[in-house]
Amino acid sequence: MTPVRVLSLCGTIAGVVLIPAALPEFYVTLFGYVGLATLVALGLVLLTGISGQTSFGQASFVGIAAYATTLLTKLWGAPPIAGLIVGLVVTGTTAWLLGLVTARLSGHFLALVSVAWGISFFSLFGTLPLLHGFNGIGDIPPLRLGPLSAENLRVNLGVIWAVVAIVLAMSASLLDSRMGRAIRTLNGARLVGDSVGIDTARLSRSVFVLAALYAGVAGFLFAHFQRFISPTPFNLGASIDYLFMVIIGGAASLWGAPLGAALVVVLRDQFNDWIPRITGRVGDFELLVFSIVVILLLQRAPDGLLPLLTHLKRRRPPPGGLAIDVPAEIPPAPVLAPAVAPGAELLALESISRNFGGLAANRDVSFAVHAREIVALIGPNGAGKTTLFNVVCGVLSPSGGHMRLFGTPVEHLPSRRIAALGVARTFQHVKLLPNRSVLENIALGTHLSGRAGLWRAMLRLDRAEEARLLGEARAQAERVGFGRVLEMPAGDLPLGQQRVVEIARALCLRPHLLLLDEPAAGLRLAEKQLLAALLRQLRAEGMGVLLVEHDMDFVMELADRVVVMDFGQKIAEGPPGLVQSDPAVLEAYLGGLA
Amino acid sequence: MKARLFAAATAMSILGATAAAQAQIKIGAILSISGPAAAMGVGYKAAFDFFPNEIAGQKVEYIVRDDATDANTAFTIAQKMISEDHVDAFIGPSLTASDAAVAPLANQAHVPMLAMAPYEYDPTKQPYTFNDAQPLSLMVSVVFKYMQQHGVKDIGYIGFSDGWGDQVLAATRTSAQADGIKILADERYARTDTSAEAQALKLMSVHPQAIMMGNSATPAALPVVALRHRGYKGGIYGNHGVVSPAFIKVGGEAADGVIADTSPLVVYDQLPDDNVIKPVATAFMADYAKKFGPQSVNPFAGYSYDAVLLLQAAIPAALKAGKPGTDEFRVALRDAVEKTHELVGVSGVYTMSPTNHNGQDARAAVLVEVKDGAWRAIR
Amino acid sequence: MDLFVFLALLQDGITTGAIYLLLAIGLLIVFSVTRVIFVPQGDLLAFGALTAATLQSGQVPGTLWLLDGAAAVALVASLFGGWRLALRGVLTWGVYPFVVTAAVMLLAPRQVPAVSILLALAIVTPMGPLIWRFAFRPIADASVLALLILAMALHFVLIGLGLIFFGPEEASAPTLTDANVDLGVLNVSGQSLVVLLCCITLVLGLRWFFGSTIHGKVLRAAASDRLGARLVGIDAAASGALAFGLASFIAALAGVLIGAVTPLSYDAGFDIGLKGFVAAIMGGLISYPMAAAGAILVGVLESLGSFWASAYHEVIVFTLLIPVLVWLSLRSGSAEDRA
Repeated sequence: MTPVRVLSLCGTIAGVVLIPAALPEFYVTLFGYVGLATLVALGLVLLTGISGQTSFGQASFVGIAAYATTLLTKLWGAPPIAGLIVGLVVTGTTAWLLGLVTARLSGHFLALVSVAWGISFFSLFGTLPLLHGFNGIGDIPPLRLGPLSAENLRVNLGVIWAVVAIVLAMSASLLDSRMGRAIRTLNGARLVGDSVGIDTARLSRSVFVLAALYAGVAGFLFAHFQRFISPTPFNLGASIDYLFMVIIGGAASLWGAPLGAALVVVLRDQFNDWIPRITGRVGDFELLVFSIVVILLLQRAPDGLLPLLTHLKRRRPPPGGLAIDVPAEIPPAPVLAPAVAPGAELLALESISRNFGGLAANRDVSFAVHAREIVALIGPNGAGKTTLFNVVCGVLSPSGGHMRLFGTPVEHLPSRRIAALGVARTFQHVKLLPNRSVLENIALGTHLSGRAGLWRAMLRLDRAEEARLLGEARAQAERVGFGRVLEMPAGDLPLGQQRVVEIARALCLRPHLLLLDEPAAGLRLAEKQLLAALLRQLRAEGMGVLLVEHDMDFVMELADRVVVMDFGQKIAEGPPGLVQSDPAVLEAYLGGLA
Repeated sequence: MKARLFAAATAMSILGATAAAQAQIKIGAILSISGPAAAMGVGYKAAFDFFPNEIAGQKVEYIVRDDATDANTAFTIAQKMISEDHVDAFIGPSLTASDAAVAPLANQAHVPMLAMAPYEYDPTKQPYTFNDAQPLSLMVSVVFKYMQQHGVKDIGYIGFSDGWGDQVLAATRTSAQADGIKILADERYARTDTSAEAQALKLMSVHPQAIMMGNSATPAALPVVALRHRGYKGGIYGNHGVVSPAFIKVGGEAADGVIADTSPLVVYDQLPDDNVIKPVATAFMADYAKKFGPQSVNPFAGYSYDAVLLLQAAIPAALKAGKPGTDEFRVALRDAVEKTHELVGVSGVYTMSPTNHNGQDARAAVLVEVKDGAWRAIR
Repeated sequence: MDLFVFLALLQDGITTGAIYLLLAIGLLIVFSVTRVIFVPQGDLLAFGALTAATLQSGQVPGTLWLLDGAAAVALVASLFGGWRLALRGVLTWGVYPFVVTAAVMLLAPRQVPAVSILLALAIVTPMGPLIWRFAFRPIADASVLALLILAMALHFVLIGLGLIFFGPEEASAPTLTDANVDLGVLNVSGQSLVVLLCCITLVLGLRWFFGSTIHGKVLRAAASDRLGARLVGIDAAASGALAFGLASFIAALAGVLIGAVTPLSYDAGFDIGLKGFVAAIMGGLISYPMAAAGAILVGVLESLGSFWASAYHEVIVFTLLIPVLVWLSLRSGSAEDRA
């Protein structure tokens, strides 16, 4: 545990015990609301800030759980714990079903669907006869903790903030784990997630359900805290408020949730109090002033207030600049991939074609890559190299032809399944999580060597595995010379080094076949030499490498075999020396001049 | 973060740690001045502009806050009024859902509250809750008695899809059962809908002899216009929420003949001279017209006014028991309000008892009909 | 349900659908040019209706002072941006509000329906460009989601202002005709024909605008390729203002049209706007004919839903959106990593 964590843990415990005892009655209620809103906002941070899905429907989930526990405890006399369990089951199931429908939606489409269900659920809460309509249900039994009845608001506040502390800690553990790293790829880097074997569609559904469960916990507490519920607190307006909290606090960090929740709840309360005192009018200006403040905050601090408060503490680059250490000798692979017989066929393409509409990007391309071999795929711009590369990675499926990996037909496997077979890749336009550390980025590659899921991560039962994964990532990082900059945000590295981070990430998959998309682009000479040395070492260890590259010197010096493409077709294949003098190749590259 | 919160909390606790007798009587009013119920809320608020600043020689301070038609907000405001402002009584809330949310707090803190929306509760369990609005069952039963006398055997119901629509329907069910009238349809529309044509057509398809409406104010004209436009010939009946000049303005010819219950205040000048409410209502309307101009009758302002009348009558007795701001004062105030006997307000005559915290009788309900572009009392 | 009822429901649905269509068009224009999902357009609809109603009652609407105030700020701001901008600023934000204010002062007391309607359009139309100028332009490059959240906040600003300007009570915009038209079994109100007529005229007018005028072509260019348009020198700020101006004009028009059929309150616009928005989404936020079909579908479905299960009609309309969106999203294939 870091000192910061110990400190915040102590602070939290002190807060949970002391704040309820010391606060005047009214602020007990107010901070109760802050706590409840924090729970919902924490879910939204995971959903919106971390995994990039926006929901205007979180208040519905609060409502579903609140109504479930109310029905059970008030109308049917069940104990609150049953209300909690049933509430969460119902909320989770609803979210899961919605998730099935909305899993394919992304960006603003999901946000729009959530507006729709936000309105529908509100309407249902008011209309279903079972739920007692718009005038609500009162006298909901309070929580009981042994002798302590949570009828006392202070006990309630303690309960709420204890739950907030637990959920916050669990969320922090989650983000600091294998699954946490995976979740971060959902936000704009799903291709990376797929390429390291993460089931991104399923994961985004899980995060969605998790955020709904947080809202459900808040709903359960809300019902027993206020002891009266009506549909209004679960309407679209409430959902929008939760989003405001997250955006104002700072969606990128868990701490943005309590900050934003406190700000919104307290601001609203203070406006309700002071505006009538100042203007002498009630009901006119409160909402107006509050929403203008929200707009100004959105305009001035689009990333929320938390980054503004903490930006001074941002890690500085280590002294001595960003240069990576070029090791004199590349250490061997830390964990040897299961051996493949030297010279065995890894990848075989037979008459692969790929069409986009009427346009044929690849036609009848066939070649193979073997173990202990570096194959370069070259060709002029627009020759179809990238399309072919994407077909091999599983990002695109071929329109025709056969593709085998390690002897298995894989024409229609998605990338994550191809990754699981032992194929790792890098991207032409570097795709890293720029705000996360180099180590975390590299550790993404270890995803498939771990098993721990969301719940084990949240309960910190994954620590041994986590240590092993990070150790492996660290070893791979050191291997490519990143020992000193592991804690730097990856986005702060120069472009060339970001490429090397990608390669290290790919190596963490312990691949038999490594696919590199223009790895040398943007690298300085020393870095290219390091890269070439690394690739030779990998070849020596038995790996097959397929690279798409423009840098002819790099290719000719390194590759065992070169495949040349033009107009979507293979025009030549052979050792570098032979290909270089092939008339078709000269024609393709030099055009009419030859 | 936590440390800062904690410091703030400590600071607040020091500031807030005063709770003793106060120089003036503080009355907290929680009204729905914005949000969906705002049209009614502003009526409730209007009366506060000419309330007495002194009762029984004590200064009175009114703290008026808006719950934005949200029970949740009402709960927070009530909490603050109790523990920060130390109010001696609540007027309101003016929304049924808010009443339900606030009542447990008020009872726990011994703050008498005069709810102003129809709100069903058990006075023996919530001894501090009073209600000066006519119970919907009382109001709606007047309409149904009239229907029964005029041979109506079945009706169709159309109301808002909100709390008001639910409540009027509940009262309609009770009265209909008592008077042997069948409810053939229950149709709903939203206050902000742009059309109630479909609901009107549905109602007509079951051929009810009359229509009962559970809506209010201007949007109540929507189904009336649609029904008449489609040629519906039966009687159209409303509740007291419907009774407003704007309803007639928007309803136009279609509004003619609509019959509804209402508060005596609305037709105060048409009451017979021996009606005890007439002079009180006339005086109130004089004050009201001075402030807001003539012809601006608003029954909701009457509920606020009656609440103050009830408190005004009870405060002298309470002052004997303790100073404002003390528990003794509030307990005595509650006891005194419960002893209210034949107090004449503008919305009815109140006689409270431990089991009846509304205390109104048939004098609180008047039947009115739209005739020649105005609401006319039916004798 | 007999044929008569079905036809009556259909007619009702088409009338409301026409209003949704107008809003859907406004949303599409704004979204395609600026990527803003302009949900608060519905609030401008309420502004239009209530401004006309206030004028018709012989009073000066608060929206006029809002226009004057916001225009004054925009005028001052434009003075610091070089003489060409200043000149344009003086014309748009100095002369125009002055003329409108003078016209309101002179004409409002006469309470002529057509004049009230025209003045209401003149007052509410500039709100769009002003909203663009002050709310969205400062963060025009933010993500679609950030802009959407800002739009939601703006909705609350507008209903806050609406409550202050118009009070909480509903009011009706002036009607142009009280006539009823008998179409065989159906008795159609003249105003609903006016709604349809205006809707068709506007759609044709917009076709002409986008097809034949230089401003329309500029907007189309800005919509189809934002970066490209900027490269060839199309002023993104100006095309944004134009798009918002069109949207607020359409909203105000829809407001005075529907406001004459149904009394509207300050907060009634949002629900109407959301349904227009459902229609726009059915058009995939790109296609106008699809949006038109969607709008009519939403209107008719709402009408039928209100007939069959009136308490659930909101649920029916908004739940309908979910399968449509899923279908759209499947059709557009994997939308991943498009951020």
